[in-house]
Amino acid sequence: MKAKLVTVFLIFLAISAFSQSPDIKEIVRQADEKMRGTSSTGTFSMTIERPTWSRTISMKSWTLGNEYSLIYVTAPAKEKGQVFLKRKNEMWNWVPSIDRMIKIPPSMMMQSWMGSDFTNDDLVRESSIVKDYTHKLLGEEIVAGYPSYKIELIPLEDAPVVWGKVLMWVSKKEYHWLKAEFFDEDGILVNTEILSDIKKMDDRVIPCRMEMIPADKKGHRTVMIFEDTDFDVPLKEEFFSIQNMKKIK
Amino acid sequence: MNTNIKLAWRNLWRNKRRTLITVASIFFGVLLSAYMTSMQEGSYGKMVEIVVKFYSGYMQVHHEDYWENKSINNVFEYDQTLVDQIKIHPEVDFVIPRLESFGLASSEELTRGAAVFGIVPTVENQLTGIADKITSGKYLQDNDEGVIIGDGLAGFLKLEVNDTLVILSQGYHGVSAAGKFPVRGIIKHISPELNKSIIYMELKTCQTFLDAENKLSSLVVNVADNDAMNRTLRHLKKEIHSPYSVMSWEEMQPEVVQQIEGDRAGGVIMKGILYIVIAFGILGTIMMMIAERRREFGVMISIGMQKKKLALVLFIETVFIGLLGIASGIAASVPLLFFQARNPIPLTGQAAQVMEDFGFEPFMFFSTAPEVFWQQALSIFIISVLIGIYPIVSTWRIKEIKALHG
Repeated sequence: MKAKLVTVFLIFLAISAFSQSPDIKEIVRQADEKMRGTSSTGTFSMTIERPTWSRTISMKSWTLGNEYSLIYVTAPAKEKGQVFLKRKNEMWNWVPSIDRMIKIPPSMMMQSWMGSDFTNDDLVRESSIVKDYTHKLLGEEIVAGYPSYKIELIPLEDAPVVWGKVLMWVSKKEYHWLKAEFFDEDGILVNTEILSDIKKMDDRVIPCRMEMIPADKKGHRTVMIFEDTDFDVPLKEEFFSIQNMKKIK
Repeated sequence: MNTNIKLAWRNLWRNKRRTLITVASIFFGVLLSAYMTSMQEGSYGKMVEIVVKFYSGYMQVHHEDYWENKSINNVFEYDQTLVDQIKIHPEVDFVIPRLESFGLASSEELTRGAAVFGIVPTVENQLTGIADKITSGKYLQDNDEGVIIGDGLAGFLKLEVNDTLVILSQGYHGVSAAGKFPVRGIIKHISPELNKSIIYMELKTCQTFLDAENKLSSLVVNVADNDAMNRTLRHLKKEIHSPYSVMSWEEMQPEVVQQIEGDRAGGVIMKGILYIVIAFGILGTIMMMIAERRREFGVMISIGMQKKKLALVLFIETVFIGLLGIASGIAASVPLLFFQARNPIPLTGQAAQVMEDFGFEPFMFFSTAPEVFWQQALSIFIISVLIGIYPIVSTWRIKEIKALHG
């Protein structure tokens, strides 16, 4: 009888503990899902800011899941018509002015993408913030007016991840991904990502502005603004082909 | 005094053979040291010439951040007032605009890193004379949309005249620059390093390619020589302010200056050894002469010749021998070195390979600068004057009786 009581008590204790702390992994998954969808088409602009200058590039994009994407540059005129294709962890660049298809070699993966603060690897990266990390709630903070969870992500041993640690902030109510800080293996801050301008886009409400701020370069910043995006559009894997890169408009 | 000189001169020719042997040792000393100095200075001169004439010019004006970080973003807008401000100096011969960057040069299958030079064809040719170095095809015209490439690069990419060269690079403010250019000509660039990587392009074409309209990475300021440069540089350093900066070739290529200085120090030691050998050669013959003429001196002093006067005559003799040696040495080395300067000695085998790897032509060059000659003349003269002290001292010590007996 006594043993039974203890067991019941323990079960209650476990349940109450469970209900008090939210399932962190689930929150991260939902925040991530919201940004991706299964497929999408849209337009966005990327502004590269440097201490003495800045420039803006406009692009169209098509994505299918995490694995396939196609980006077509629409402005400025000099770069119009360039296409980037990502298939799984490979990447190609079509440059119409020289009729060349360039396969981005692995050695160039860590280099800047179109002169921005994003690397080619940032675009291609296969890792999933849900599957490849362990998640831990560090506390709650208010980010840009939203009460948020502060979550620490530590990559799993065998995960294909370059970071040593990631801190991310997800809003408590809507599960908006609001901010992330990326640290290297030595625990030094490398990049800060800030997502803001939350509004309705197609069928969902998401942040439409994303800033990437490298920590070690003063005055450097890249801002991506998603202008309009349609989610869950009918796109097939065949669409993301090298042949199609040359045809797409 | 006149008599003393006459006496000394006649004494010299009393024993022609002895005099000529002494003169010959000095003659070869002068010739050898002049030859060595000429070869050293000649190779330094060539190094400077390659750097100055085929690459940097004597001075360059850049954006102040350019030299630290040679990025296409650290360029400046062409500014006529800046050019006028430089040209106002009378010693400035010409000012050449350039836009330099790097890129990947590619043909059908092959790709290689390359240096892209946007130039104004006619004025660039004034400095570097690259039009004469074209081995096939022709030189760039004004508003040319084609390129000229180094023959090392052409060989690697398997390109010929009228083929298409593709260049991939990053333009101003991170714009991606990619273009196709017809190869107008192939150049055998004097610097093997540049020969493997150079692409010359008309300035406007280059500016459009890199999306840097009306922008320059450098203004080459050319003057007649190093002395003129040092004078003008002083003024320009004062007058040219931020955001520009002016640099001399010595600042841009400190390794060349260091190499020359290091080598010159080594040459000083070699020449020091050479001079010591010459000095002891002369001293030896003078000592022999004194020993041979000991009896003669004894007789002369006994019949009333002042020791002072005798010493002076001997001193003048030594100096005469020195002067004769120097005069004949210079007389022989001037035509020889002028001939060698025209016909540098070609190097072969590994030595040639090493020179080419350093970016120099595989030749031994000679200099005919005046200091090559007068420095040797002066040093040998000082040596013979110092040796002239020996006969003075030894006459002073002569014991007439001993000398007469000996």
